[in-house]
Amino acid sequence: MANRTGTAQRPNGQTQGKICQFKLVLLGESAVGKSSLVLRFVKGQFHEYQESTIGAAFLTQTVCLDDTTVKFEIWDTAGQERYHSLAPMYYRGAQAAIVVYDITNQDTFGRAKTWVKELQRQASPNIVIALAGNKQDLANKRMVEFEEAHAYADEHGLLFMETSAKTAMNVNDIFLAIAKKLPKNEQAGAPGGGGQGRRLVDGDTGPKAAGNCCK
Amino acid sequence: MNEEDLLKRSAEERDKIFKRYDRGREEGAEIDPWEDPTFEVYHATDRYGFIHDKRLPSKVDPQEAKKQQIELERVKKWRKMLKSWNSSVTKEKLHKRVFKGIPNSLRPQVWCLLLSLDKTKTENRGKYDEMLKLARKYSTDARQIDSDVNRQFREHLFYRERYGIKQQSLFKVLTAYAMYNSEVGYCQGMSGLAGVLLMYMDEEDAFWAMHILLTDPKFSMHGLYKEGFPKLTRFLAHHDRILTKFMPGLKKHFDKHGLDAILYSLKWFFVCFVERVPFSLCLRIWDIYLLIGERVITAMAFTILRLHKKSIMKLNDMDSIVHFIQVKLYKDFMYDDDSAVHALERALEDLKRAKLDHPGPPTKDEIPSRPFGVFIEPTVDQIIGHRAEKFTEKERETNTLVVLRREEAREALENDVQLSVGDSAGLTGSKFSFDPSMDDTSSLLEDCQHMGSKRSLADTSVTSTADLSVFSTITRSQAHENSLDTHSNVSDNSVGGASSVGSGIVTSSGAHKPLFSTHSTPRATPHNPSPDVLRIYVPYSPLDTPLVSPHNGDVKVPPNTFPDNKIRIRVDNDELLTPLVEHGQIRSFRIDSPEIDLK
Repeated sequence: MANRTGTAQRPNGQTQGKICQFKLVLLGESAVGKSSLVLRFVKGQFHEYQESTIGAAFLTQTVCLDDTTVKFEIWDTAGQERYHSLAPMYYRGAQAAIVVYDITNQDTFGRAKTWVKELQRQASPNIVIALAGNKQDLANKRMVEFEEAHAYADEHGLLFMETSAKTAMNVNDIFLAIAKKLPKNEQAGAPGGGGQGRRLVDGDTGPKAAGNCCK
Repeated sequence: MNEEDLLKRSAEERDKIFKRYDRGREEGAEIDPWEDPTFEVYHATDRYGFIHDKRLPSKVDPQEAKKQQIELERVKKWRKMLKSWNSSVTKEKLHKRVFKGIPNSLRPQVWCLLLSLDKTKTENRGKYDEMLKLARKYSTDARQIDSDVNRQFREHLFYRERYGIKQQSLFKVLTAYAMYNSEVGYCQGMSGLAGVLLMYMDEEDAFWAMHILLTDPKFSMHGLYKEGFPKLTRFLAHHDRILTKFMPGLKKHFDKHGLDAILYSLKWFFVCFVERVPFSLCLRIWDIYLLIGERVITAMAFTILRLHKKSIMKLNDMDSIVHFIQVKLYKDFMYDDDSAVHALERALEDLKRAKLDHPGPPTKDEIPSRPFGVFIEPTVDQIIGHRAEKFTEKERETNTLVVLRREEAREALENDVQLSVGDSAGLTGSKFSFDPSMDDTSSLLEDCQHMGSKRSLADTSVTSTADLSVFSTITRSQAHENSLDTHSNVSDNSVGGASSVGSGIVTSSGAHKPLFSTHSTPRATPHNPSPDVLRIYVPYSPLDTPLVSPHNGDVKVPPNTFPDNKIRIRVDNDELLTPLVEHGQIRSFRIDSPEIDLK
């Protein structure tokens, strides 16, 4: 995948770090917490009564990894089956996907598997897929065992974490894990990597993810 | 689990959900603490029943008080009119009065009258209860409806308490209606529609009101919610036509940022502006909607963009445009309701004059084809909730249509550039853009980047944005590598696109290694907010400029403030100055005055 990469250069010629932009899509059954995960990641907020997503929502967030700034363009999709026909326009061309299920509902895990299958069949071949077992704060009502999901994820080469948008558990982590796994060097060797003073979004990349961004 | 177990589990789940709503909040109700919001009810509930975070001002705003006084006066007139609803006098006055706003206290009655609810209800006596019973036994939508009831209008007094009376009603109306109109069933969005109706009606009335909204040709929302959303695609296409005709600059701005109308306007069409404009204004639109039907949706969509065009044009990435349209305008529309409705009236007139007030008759597949209220036993897959492995033909069609819209937008953008630029290649390497109109933010410089960036269907599905960062830095840095012309940039685009035909699968192993970045993934935001484009404004005679007709309110004022024939350079956003590197030396790039005149 040709992601956008560039080397931001400081006037003194030192390399400041790359900036990569990735398109990420969230998929999963209705009411598993897709929008809540995004809201937590992007704004650090949580709403118990997050309005249902109709169609899709779009947000961006930037994280920093060592010398690389990763900007996620996040497509949060509607979960209801009726909206499935619109989903391909969001996951097409995506470099990453988070497939979300609700650990208190076995059916949503089944649906998550269907999404994974669809992505592996239809989306970009190099797509990085993460599986998120959300609502970990409701573990006392758990219906999907951690081990079961973990084994499934391993078998299919997915990143896996149990998350809680409510308590923020593993939310930044899962996005960071994806950022780490995404290829970031494809453009590095490109000829004529830009004139001097070429400046890509440097320092004005919008809100930072709490606690995981560059200083 | 085998099929039998799955069926049993689904039945149990459905039963459990229904029982919870039966029980409501009585003793024994299972309600998790998180399911009930904590609100300070007193002092923070507005006149429509919405509870706000903050205490409302104890003193009534004098303007608001005046409005309420006017409304009280209107109530008297309305009461009189209601006594002779079918008279010719009423017919004469109704239109004007509805546009002024139906007094909130009379909305329950007037809405029912506008929908001729009584007639439908009497004709179908007993049907609602019948559907409720069927739903309890067979509903396959209970879980989805349950999860949506749990998040619909929770900040409203009526829906605040989990399993409260209005939540019960909402659940029942939706599950019953999904049985009654099995072709639509339940589609997310319908909870908003029913939710508003239930604020002004009782359960059974809301059920029939919903049915009228879906099936009466005046509203025909059936086609919106049914599989494949055929009406939505028709209305979106019409919306684009309107933009192209009345606000081509804005349309181009959207296209440039890869912003398809489906992204920002879905709720306008689906729930008639609920949660997209302030509730008081939303009600005013609903009043008019119930009177004149779907034309108001088209006109209001146009009005919103027309009123806020300037603000939107200033936003230069998809993220902030969508946020502005969806979130900001919901919190604060920036025009009072009367002004907004006034603008809406004007829009209705303008559209009518341009013969664009209505997208034309519905297509065949938008019209209900199944009889209502006839029970069809759900399939096993429906009961268990299995996802279909493949798209139905209709769904595939929708998908293609939506993707095509993007393609068309892009082509239009390209054609536009070709037409207006002519030999743009000569300009692309230039440091400056020639922008004949200060109003139109789509300068040639930005347009040029789209030259030749004709992408594949697969690639254009979502978004793409001019890669301004490359340009602006070149123009600003005045570096010697100015040979990095757009041409290479352009061909990158096309390569990225061409290799992804059909599948959206792109590998970077293409023969052509891009110089900066290929956009095999459509970009949603520009990487740089184009902070520092240098533009030369060449003044021209206003007479040479075709003006958009003034009556549509979209008048372009030529920059005729330039008295002479000077060339003017302007540096935008000078607060974003960056140091420049030239011959390895740092040089501060600064123009003291934002505009320099070249004699």
